Amino acid sequence: MPNVLIDVQGLSKHYPPNVKAVDDITFQIKAGRIFSMLGPNGAGKTTTVEILEGLRNPTSGKATIFDVDVTRDYSKLRDKVGILPQNFEPFDNLKPNEAVQYWAGLYDMKATASRVNSLLAQVGLSERKSVISRKLSGGEKRKLGIALSLINEPEVLFLDEPTTGLDPKARRDLWKLIEEIRAKGTTVFLTTHYLDEAEKLADDVAIMNKGKIVARGSPQELITKYGKMTVIVITGAGEEALKEIKRRGIEATVENGDVLVPVKDPVEMRVIFQKISGIELKAKDIYTRRQSLEDVFLNLVGAKMDEGVLSP
Amino acid sequence: MSRIAADIKYFGIGYLRSKTGAFFAFFFPILLILLFGAIFTATPTKLNLPVQNLDDGPYSQALISILNGTGLVNVQEVPANEDIATYIQNHSLAMALLIPQDFTKDIIARQSGNGTGLVNLTLYGDPSQSTFGTANAAVNAAVTVLNFNLTSTSPLVSYGLKSPGTKPFSYIDFFVPGVVGITVMTNSLYSMTSICASYKSRGYFKLLATTKIKKYEWLVSKFVFYSLLLYASLFVTFAIGKAAFNIEATLTPLSLLLIPAGAFLFVSLGMLLGVVIKDPESGAAISNVIGFPMMFLSGSFWPIDSMPMYMQAIARAMPLTYFNEGLRDTMVYGNTGGSMLNLSVVVLIGIVFFVLASKLMSWKE
Ligand SMILES: Nc1ncnc2c1ncn2[C@@H]1O[C@H](COP(=O)(O)OP(=O)(O)OP(=O)(O)O)[C@@H](O)[C@H]1O
Ligand SMILES: [Mg+2]
Repeated sequence: MPNVLIDVQGLSKHYPPNVKAVDDITFQIKAGRIFSMLGPNGAGKTTTVEILEGLRNPTSGKATIFDVDVTRDYSKLRDKVGILPQNFEPFDNLKPNEAVQYWAGLYDMKATASRVNSLLAQVGLSERKSVISRKLSGGEKRKLGIALSLINEPEVLFLDEPTTGLDPKARRDLWKLIEEIRAKGTTVFLTTHYLDEAEKLADDVAIMNKGKIVARGSPQELITKYGKMTVIVITGAGEEALKEIKRRGIEATVENGDVLVPVKDPVEMRVIFQKISGIELKAKDIYTRRQSLEDVFLNLVGAKMDEGVLSP
Repeated sequence: MSRIAADIKYFGIGYLRSKTGAFFAFFFPILLILLFGAIFTATPTKLNLPVQNLDDGPYSQALISILNGTGLVNVQEVPANEDIATYIQNHSLAMALLIPQDFTKDIIARQSGNGTGLVNLTLYGDPSQSTFGTANAAVNAAVTVLNFNLTSTSPLVSYGLKSPGTKPFSYIDFFVPGVVGITVMTNSLYSMTSICASYKSRGYFKLLATTKIKKYEWLVSKFVFYSLLLYASLFVTFAIGKAAFNIEATLTPLSLLLIPAGAFLFVSLGMLLGVVIKDPESGAAISNVIGFPMMFLSGSFWPIDSMPMYMQAIARAMPLTYFNEGLRDTMVYGNTGGSMLNLSVVVLIGIVFFVLASKLMSWKE
């Protein structure tokens, strides 16, 4: 299959006595995409990623990157892969520019000042390049981690929960950076338990739960397939409006005084609006509620997810 | 090669910026040298020797002036009406000499052939106190001189002091190699265990595993770095010892070989311990459990020969003992053969630890 960069076949990782951290998963990732593995704490994301990084041996199954077996021949991939581990913390007593130079040395590369500068500029750390790393903010530390992971100009970049624990501004900064990296042609493997992050960034999502991939596709595909329909919400319209709407042959329900009109097919939307607009409504507001990955997740896993923790 | 160089450079920068690193490499040995040097090289002041003289004859006066003449003690009078045992207790005295009543009379009686037995002085005191030895020696010498005078003979045998090497050595000379030993041990062992612990908990080993540096290269880099660091520490400590106390011990070529050998041994031991350590807390605990007894039992502060036999056996099982003795052999006694033997023991143990550490240590899962 051309264009397939990462190929995972029947991969499992069991821990004694009976933890199936990864339970027989199969998937492929195409080049140049942002692939997101989305799942709650303990889903098996890090286990999967670290198998692909040659750091853990699978119990069974096989994974290849560029047709190279990650378990047997990872050393052939060192030049092509970049890694940001989960909870990355930089070396406390090195400045970002030193850390980048250090990392270059570990890859047998000479890091010229201009290369170091452009890398730090790329991740947005130019002004902070001479600050001792332990004094950097959480977001800056992650950016430094990404700078290190880019030192060998990788073709595949693994980012294990790059935005966990960061404030919204820092998260948006990183999202922008990740999109820029992808724009340069790098394939990104991103794990996250933020649904909005996957929806915003990923071309391709795998929802993982309890070691299994429970759904796979682009965010839009997943929403279409597993989400409920788009709903027109008429707030504060009440039972009266419901009767009027139903009289016109439109299916609807009431929830907390709001009338909800499901739209089975986007094409029907216009027709429904036309019919509704003829009715005298005491509505406060009318809007359509789009389904998101959050709804998909709720439908698939049967629970909501907040900071990686599931709640029913 | 460039990987090792990069690792040495940036590991070194990070290490020296951490305050604990600089403390143990430089501040700690300098502190030890200055402290112990000041204690043990100060010109000894005369010891005050309290004497209760219950005699009123000339011989007790003669004894007291001989005592003062030894140059070791300064006689202080204890009032004759005090009970000496109570007096010692109430004044927390380490020792006191009692010259009994009729001291002169009894001697005269002996001289004229009338008395029986020896005329006795009593030296009260606690032999475990270091000053007691001095007092004992002074009283002993004074009694001998008095005996000679009373019997009108003169001594035939005498002795002088001379140290076996070419130069006279003092405690500080014995101590300098010990400080070097402690410095080498604490810097490499303690910091390697804590580094292994934090690298594990922060996932740096995994991160390193994904770069091109190899495990043994990383180990070699640590060995080189600590050797350089300890050379620097040695030169600074030594220069200060020389300037402050004019120490006679010398930096021989063998001692310069022992430094990297010691660094090799203790870096490897630290990494070996790092294999079983899970987190920084257990890292500190384990290095203390091993390092602390070693610091005191391996002849850094006092000679191993002065310890009980079973302790000596324990000391023989500690690698630092061989390192200390190797240094002392060459730096103080000029015993090249002995030093080379100890050097080979250090290198041998180091090789065993290094091989075990690089085999057992896993950067991956
Ligand atoms: N070394 C290990 N030994 C035993 N169990 C493990 C080990 N590593 C992971 N596990 C278990 O495997 C499961 C998956 O863990 P993993 O770290 O892959 O999850 P994750 O999706 O990355 O979660 P998080 O969002 O918390 O990072 C968990 O139940 C975890 O407890
Ligand atoms: Mg994880």
